[in-house]
Amino acid sequence: MYRGREGQWAFYLHRISGLGILVFLMLHVANIASAMWGPEVSNALMKFYHQPVFQIGLLLLIAGVLYHGFNGLRIILMDFTAWGVRYQRQLWYGVWVLFVIFYLPFLLKIGGGILGGGHGD
Amino acid sequence: MAIKSKRYEEARLEASTNLELYWWVFMRISGVVLVFLLIGHMWMNAILIDLNQIDYNYVAKRLSQTTWKVYDWLILALALLHGGNGLRYVLDDWVRHPVRRFWTKVVVYSLIAFLFFLGSLSLFNHDFGVK
Repeated sequence: MYRGREGQWAFYLHRISGLGILVFLMLHVANIASAMWGPEVSNALMKFYHQPVFQIGLLLLIAGVLYHGFNGLRIILMDFTAWGVRYQRQLWYGVWVLFVIFYLPFLLKIGGGILGGGHGD
Repeated sequence: MAIKSKRYEEARLEASTNLELYWWVFMRISGVVLVFLLIGHMWMNAILIDLNQIDYNYVAKRLSQTTWKVYDWLILALALLHGGNGLRYVLDDWVRHPVRRFWTKVVVYSLIAFLFFLGSLSLFNHDFGVK
């Protein structure tokens, strides 16, 4: 349908980011719910997740959420407006503009944390 | 089968059942709501505070406030339904063998139901002892 151009990339990235977010969501719910078992269990798990490698994973996750969300809005515009499909490529570039604007604060804050070495203790 | 149409009118024609059309509509509505809820959630817990400071005390305090109980439960419910249905589309595409697809779905849906139960318990049925 899209013949390997922007639309196809938009589709695959949407799918991969969606799957990634679902995997994170499951780990995240389990991690937060562990608070029901008290501070020892909960704090041990959180300390584990505060390692730099997971911070990088978190940066990837936030990128996934922002892309999936903004591209989802693009899909909705394509679904419910008369012009959305015609301008799907331009809309996709719009998705990336929004992505960069919203991603920068997270990249600076979390990326700075990783480089600054201020993780946990 | 999942709806592939890009327009609501076409989707309505393509839908094999009313239920499939409702899922199609649900994905769009929950999607818009989740964009706002999740940007807020990420902003509050990664930008406004240092996420490396998050520990048991922070979580216990948050999960004891009605506002965040409702906010977090909305994310939990909408995200698991949206993600579960999205995964169903993917499995219908990628797992062609009917028996294997059936059992994959059984495992995945059970896991999602369990996490919904676990998350709901921690939000509504556990006293963290924070006033």
